Amino acid sequence: MTETITRDVAATEPAKPRTPAGRRRFLSVPHLLLIPAILILLVGMGYPLVWQVITSMQEFGIKQQFGQPADFVGLQNYIDLATDPTMWQVVGRSLAFCFITATMTLVVGLLLAVLMTAVGRTARLTLQISLLLAWAMPVVAAMTVWIWLFDRRRGVVNYLLDMIPGVDMNRFSWLSNPLTFFIVASIIVIWMSVPFVAFSVYAGLTQVSDEVLEAAQLDGANGAKRLRYIIMPMIRPVIMIVLLLQLIWDLRVFTQITMLQDAGSKASEFDLLGTYIYKLGAGSQDFGMASAVSIFVLALTLAISWFYVRALLKEDEQS
Amino acid sequence: MTTSVTIPTGGELGATASAVPVASVRTRTRWSQRVRPRRILLTVLAFAVSLAWVFPVYWMMNSSLLSNRTLQSFIPTFLPFGGSFANYENVLEDGSFFTALGISLSVTLIAVFFCLLFAFLAAVAISRFRFKGRKAFVLAVLIVQMLPAEGLFIAQYKMVSSVGLLNSVIGVSIIYTAAVVPFTVWMLRGFVAGIPADLEEAAMVDGLSRTQAFMRITFPLLAPGLVASGVFAFLQAWNEFTVALVLLPAEQMHTLPLWLRGFIQASATRETDWGQVMAASTLVAVPVIVFFLIVQGRMTSGLVSGAVKG
Amino acid sequence: MKRKYAVAAIATAAALVLAGCSATGEPADDGSADGQDITLWLMGGDTPDELRDYLKSEYADATGGTLTIEEQGWGDAVAKLTTALPDAANTPDVTEIGNTWSPTFTNAGAFTDLSDMYDELGGDKLLKSFVEVGEVDGAQYALPYYFGSRYNFYRKDIWDAAGKTVPTTLGEFGETVKSLRTDAQSGFYVGGSDWRNGISWIFANGGELAVKDGDEWVGALSSDESVAGLEQFQDLFTGASNAPVTEFDSTPWVNINNNDATGVPEAATIIAPGWAHWSIGDITPDPKDSTKTVATWNDDVFGTFVLPGVDGGVAPVFAGGSNIAVSAASKNQAGAKELMKIIFSEEYQTLLGENGLGPANLDYASSLGDDQFAKALIESAAGSKLTPAAPGWAAVEGAGILEEFFGKVSGGGDVAELAAEYDEKLNELLN
Repeated sequence: MTETITRDVAATEPAKPRTPAGRRRFLSVPHLLLIPAILILLVGMGYPLVWQVITSMQEFGIKQQFGQPADFVGLQNYIDLATDPTMWQVVGRSLAFCFITATMTLVVGLLLAVLMTAVGRTARLTLQISLLLAWAMPVVAAMTVWIWLFDRRRGVVNYLLDMIPGVDMNRFSWLSNPLTFFIVASIIVIWMSVPFVAFSVYAGLTQVSDEVLEAAQLDGANGAKRLRYIIMPMIRPVIMIVLLLQLIWDLRVFTQITMLQDAGSKASEFDLLGTYIYKLGAGSQDFGMASAVSIFVLALTLAISWFYVRALLKEDEQS
Repeated sequence: MTTSVTIPTGGELGATASAVPVASVRTRTRWSQRVRPRRILLTVLAFAVSLAWVFPVYWMMNSSLLSNRTLQSFIPTFLPFGGSFANYENVLEDGSFFTALGISLSVTLIAVFFCLLFAFLAAVAISRFRFKGRKAFVLAVLIVQMLPAEGLFIAQYKMVSSVGLLNSVIGVSIIYTAAVVPFTVWMLRGFVAGIPADLEEAAMVDGLSRTQAFMRITFPLLAPGLVASGVFAFLQAWNEFTVALVLLPAEQMHTLPLWLRGFIQASATRETDWGQVMAASTLVAVPVIVFFLIVQGRMTSGLVSGAVKG
Repeated sequence: MKRKYAVAAIATAAALVLAGCSATGEPADDGSADGQDITLWLMGGDTPDELRDYLKSEYADATGGTLTIEEQGWGDAVAKLTTALPDAANTPDVTEIGNTWSPTFTNAGAFTDLSDMYDELGGDKLLKSFVEVGEVDGAQYALPYYFGSRYNFYRKDIWDAAGKTVPTTLGEFGETVKSLRTDAQSGFYVGGSDWRNGISWIFANGGELAVKDGDEWVGALSSDESVAGLEQFQDLFTGASNAPVTEFDSTPWVNINNNDATGVPEAATIIAPGWAHWSIGDITPDPKDSTKTVATWNDDVFGTFVLPGVDGGVAPVFAGGSNIAVSAASKNQAGAKELMKIIFSEEYQTLLGENGLGPANLDYASSLGDDQFAKALIESAAGSKLTPAAPGWAAVEGAGILEEFFGKVSGGGDVAELAAEYDEKLNELLN
């Protein structure tokens, strides 16, 4: 699978062969170009990252924050984490939430992109503007509206569901039960993320040349075959990137969950990794432990996205 | 899925696509127009999906026009008949919205500008040159954005406060720029790679300097890519909440998300005044919607040229 | 190259740390409050504007300096206090702080020792339980700011129709409200995770959340008394409340007022902080602004009573309220102390009472008035109790452990088992 990606990427980047000449002529130019980006990263992220790594190996609580020296405890925080069943429950829950939500986002986004290519101008524009409006909603504003839509007493969702004969959803408390809580969370995250996926994939789809598709049709390829042999290979790079981004974002989703918790329940069954770190740090003032979880999440994200990182490195070696 | 090789036109297709990065979005896809009844069904589906997607946005605006009394009813009011702008008047009364809007705009625009500038330079470096340390940089950029932000606030506070930039637009802008640069580098890399270096060199043969060639030939082609990346940077900076909370503690320095949150919390001792909260939410959303409508055309074509290359 | 990158990062970080050390100096205090501009952080919107204006003008009169008041949301306050209080350049000079967080910040050394002016500020007349949470080794750091306590509001019309009278013991209270429950109406509306109300049943039965054993705080949820209280609460919740088990921060007064869709209330009884009475009553359009509604208290329909104890008397309820303290890192110690004198003055304490906030100095409790709300507030406050003064208490609250525990109890779990399990969790955080 990775080989195909590499080949595709290479095929779509005709700039590559020119680079050896560039290297000979401008040896120091690229380094100069990188300086601003590296500087800002060092300033903005370097210190926090280093602080986090150091703190994750200390016993760092509120007293240390007020000036007491912190004890170096080596890997003890990590060992404590590894032996804490709550931590593994949160990890499992986060992974499940992340994979289900990212996959659903991708599937819905793909379908909507295909739908955009299949309908007329008016319908397509309507759909695009709707998605654009949803995409433009600031997260805090969007969450406020969604929480209200799912409100137990005055929520429109319960009101409408209750109107279906035989369904009793009056006062149904969506946010009280972990399962329905995460269904709601997932719906909201999918709603927010689908526009990006749909637009990206749609952009990819419009690149598939009509001539090729028609030629394939004349050769007797049916819809499914055209999708599989022509369209999919063309848009696979887009899907890969979009899937990776969704996985990264959904694994550490924070604002949405924490606002839902404020409206629902704060119990640990409702935690994902983002809120778990925040509760450990800002809530319990155990900054050593919170840092250790953060570093762990970094490693976990890297593991999940390894498929992409490897492809990226391979592509580099080839060129 | 190694079958892409069996289509002989595959490679050529890619080349054609990248030579024309700004492909028209309105390209009709003819094969779908053949089956009429199915098309009608799909059109209906498209409208239904639009409705479902836009409903929360509509609900926010609808509610912002209704009085709190109407909203307290257990039977939802679906149309804003008999509504008024009273909620907006109440929300805008003390002028804090405009202060927060000013802060949000400054922080976001500074962060977007520098982020695009720095990321663009870096993207040119890694997609046009092969050099020592390139792979390390690409990896670092990739990894840095995987660090969860929820545990970072103490370190960020210490850093920003130690150089006296707490409660200042600059301090937050620096953090935001740093937070968005990795993703932007990553995204722009695809765009820059998509523009053939031949074009520039041809222009140089015609007597332009390398900088001139770049500014006249490459930059215009890159514009959609910059817009698309800029939109992401804009959204992230505009929406950010946790960093702003810690780095901008003074009330007169609050950004719009903090202002909105303060609105929800200020009503904590009473029952939430949903009408006002919805009006406030709408006010926070409008600048983004306006921004999106302005860049919309460019953005979609930007995604066309950039996304395919990744 | 990767190593080079890391080295550069550490070098930059080190430079930044060094810069940080030189920037924060020792608090410079010349001992005079004259002309000092200070900042006061208030939590939430509980202090009315009238009181804020009073503080500003009095402070200007006393010192010639400016007092800036910044309001912090309750939900985000701990994160902001944690970062700002140790930072001399940006700390508020005086800050309000939730009473249950006081032990944590006091023990961490966040506040200035006020022992020398304790007597001047009111001394023994200050609300004792609040003073205790702000004390370390007999020295006072965080003092009481205001208190509020919880009592019951009930629907006289519903109680009368069912032939019920105000109960005199906690057991009778439980039986009464259980008998008033229907599918559409809670006999007693309380969220299942609402521990701030639920702990009253632990206290009433003689239990504690945590006790000090030598130098260590240990969880006491599994003591016989606590378990008895929790079982009583579990029985009450399952038998009398229709609220979700996860609800922890409800606005129960919306349930005791008539629902405008059905015309009947959803709860016959609620427990709420005293100021809730402004929101309870007959709902009519606001004459000044027809888009809003006002609640007008109606003595024929609504009544109040304090939660009775197990053997009669008054049950110890959770004492809500705030403490106030001077930041140890503040450079304006003199100005900050001047502000403390203004806050603990007779005028300001009286203003607090007139606005329905229990004044820290009990000598001025009469300023609350003598209506039924003031009486119920004073009566319930007399027996009220605070959460343990353990250094890690803010961490316990921050982690949401008690919400989780009460949710499980209300959900019908085995109380003794759960109590033992959550005592373990408390023990990890308390010290």
